[in-house]
Amino acid sequence: MAALSGTVRARERNPNMKMLRTGGAAVMAAALLGVSACGGSGEDAEAAGGVEEIRLWLNGTDTPQELRDYLVETFEEETGATLVIEEQDWSGLVPRLQTALASEGQTPDLVEVGNTQSPTFTYAGAFADISDLYEEIGGDRLLPGFVEAGTADDTVYAVPYYSGARAVFYNKDMFAAAGVEVPTTLAEFSEAAVALQAANPTGAPGFSGFWLPGQDWYNGTAWIYEAGGDLAVQEGDEWVGGLSSPESQEGLAQVQALYTGATSAPRDADSEEPWVPFNNGEAAMFSAPTWARWSIDLPECNKGVDPADESAEATALRGEQQACNEEKTGVFALPGTDGGAATVFAGGSNIAIPAKSGNQELARELMRIVFSEEYQTMLAENGLIPGNRDYADALGDDVYAQAALAAAENAKLTPAAEKWADVEGARILEDFFQEIAGGADPAEAAAKADELIGNTLN
Amino acid sequence: MPAPRTTAAVPPPAPPRAPVPPVPPAAPAARRPRRRTPFRSRLGPYLLLVPAVAAIAVGLGYPLARQFVISFQEYGLAQQFGRPAEWVGLQNYVTLLTDPYVWTVIARSIAFCLLNAGLTMAIGIALAVLMTKVGRAARVTLQVGMLLAWGTPVLATMTVWQWLFDSQYGVVNWLLAEPLGMGSMRFHSWLIEPLSFYGVATVIVVWMSVPFVAFTVYAGLLQVPEECMEAAQLDGANAWQRLWSLAIPMVKPVLFVVALLQVIWDLRVFTQIHVLQRAGAPTRETHLLGTYIYSLAKEFSMAGAMATIMLVITLGLTVFYIRRMLREEQL
Repeated sequence: MAALSGTVRARERNPNMKMLRTGGAAVMAAALLGVSACGGSGEDAEAAGGVEEIRLWLNGTDTPQELRDYLVETFEEETGATLVIEEQDWSGLVPRLQTALASEGQTPDLVEVGNTQSPTFTYAGAFADISDLYEEIGGDRLLPGFVEAGTADDTVYAVPYYSGARAVFYNKDMFAAAGVEVPTTLAEFSEAAVALQAANPTGAPGFSGFWLPGQDWYNGTAWIYEAGGDLAVQEGDEWVGGLSSPESQEGLAQVQALYTGATSAPRDADSEEPWVPFNNGEAAMFSAPTWARWSIDLPECNKGVDPADESAEATALRGEQQACNEEKTGVFALPGTDGGAATVFAGGSNIAIPAKSGNQELARELMRIVFSEEYQTMLAENGLIPGNRDYADALGDDVYAQAALAAAENAKLTPAAEKWADVEGARILEDFFQEIAGGADPAEAAAKADELIGNTLN
Repeated sequence: MPAPRTTAAVPPPAPPRAPVPPVPPAAPAARRPRRRTPFRSRLGPYLLLVPAVAAIAVGLGYPLARQFVISFQEYGLAQQFGRPAEWVGLQNYVTLLTDPYVWTVIARSIAFCLLNAGLTMAIGIALAVLMTKVGRAARVTLQVGMLLAWGTPVLATMTVWQWLFDSQYGVVNWLLAEPLGMGSMRFHSWLIEPLSFYGVATVIVVWMSVPFVAFTVYAGLLQVPEECMEAAQLDGANAWQRLWSLAIPMVKPVLFVVALLQVIWDLRVFTQIHVLQRAGAPTRETHLLGTYIYSLAKEFSMAGAMATIMLVITLGLTVFYIRRMLREEQL
């Protein structure tokens, strides 16, 4: 900046000065126009030709195309109206819902929302009361934790769409090379991870026994839950952070030990795409929802087929490749302290009818289709734990289904606090686990995080 | 939605323009005998202003007014869905301004802004001067390179930068570790320490803003009359003196405007910081005003109050420039 206010000597009159000044103003004006030109692009939901149309928002690619087609076709058969499915990105979903759900012109008629985001909108009055529909679409057969997350003051607003519990994937060859058995308790799991890291069967630099990135609180929380701790607890009308409790601290000590001796994952990474280092031979284990099986691509199995190639030959090769990957990869539910499955963090989503939707009746019709036996079964067949527990059998009985069901049995949601989404929005837990990964004193870091959680929730 | 806007978190201060003109009654004026300035030609300039003023009133005026009103209410998600908003007076401002963390964020933002604006100006001017000195081929190469840097969409470039600095697979770490032999940098995390985070952010922000400064200043330098430079040269001024005492003062108005815009842009920087935070930085340790307001955005009233505070800071930082610019306009 000093360079600008230097010797101001020349105030000579020069015809060009005027031009330069005008030039400056033009630059300014251009910049301002650039700013004000950022208009919004509104969506026009009006259907043409008098046919009623409703819109369903689904997030990410978790719902396969086959299921989407089924919804569209069945809905048209049963009601004569058109269903438009619009796919939304998980990232940035909360602010998008905040604006869209509040406007009658923009709101979708049925909306999928992450289970941890559900209470925020439920308490805000964003969703229509569906208590009278509750029994008809499954009642107490619906996943209870998810129903709780969608209920405010004994009124049901959002119901479970699907759940996906996390299971641990491991490389069988690496287990054999390091002489490690599949662990049956949480302590054995830690030992196995440390042993694998020390053995480093591939010799890759930065090898991880268990891939646990610094910001991965989705997986780290399992240790807190398993030790009997919680992220936040309700005391009277107040929510208080639960990371400082002796139970949580015990779990955190175990997590920190894993960070020290069992993982080389970067502290600045999160739970996204944990299969990448696994595929690269840089990690022996990772934890993810069981549909991660489709992302495993070990080099020794790769046949170099173009994923877009639809020919019979390519499809056969891809099938071989998948079989090879699944043969070399094992999966188990994270074991609990005393055996069995640990209490892990449950992922998944809820589905609800926005209060501002002008097509309440049609939306309820669609809700009935979603909770029909056919659709719930289709969800299960595609590896998602369906909202209605009665149809979970359709998951099949392969190792993935078994691991998913075992993990889901004890899975637990984040605290059902009205403002829990704010805790996630502020990334308090990402920051906290990153500090734990960096070797911070767990008690000190927890005290700081608890204060932030308490301030945010109340 | 008051705050979470990537492009216009805080509107730049009003342009140095005439205020909205009161439209005089047209009919009687038209019939009057035209003696001095004809009315139509007096009205003309104001009419030409109308589209710009209207665009600003709709695009900036309304959100600004709404943000201001909301900042005195308790306005959250529930109010968005129809619950009546309560007036709370200055409470939001008091809460924010008594929080030491807010002051930390403000101090960080101002430091970041001044450092980045300064660096951008220095490098931009240097490149502009370089462009006047080098041959055609070199100049065109420079210009094309800078145009590409300027023209690539922010998110696309951010993805590339993120990959470059990735701690596990990033090229920067690989370069440092493999060819340069600094083995300890192989898995170095650039984003985890706030200072190094801001270092990376500064590289990116400066890289993105330099082309604008360089092009504008270069255009200015082209307008400096050749004969003045020649005269100075004959008087024995060396190249440095000619630049420093002649060319720079002549393009000063351009420099002022560009510097002003840089200060505004760098104070409200959002996209780069937000993306880098998402790439794994500790969020709370690295907030600047833009991202902090975004993090408040579930409590619209708080975000509105914070955005208003930010507007005041922007005006405070730029008032010197604006006054100076207005004065120069009048000369």
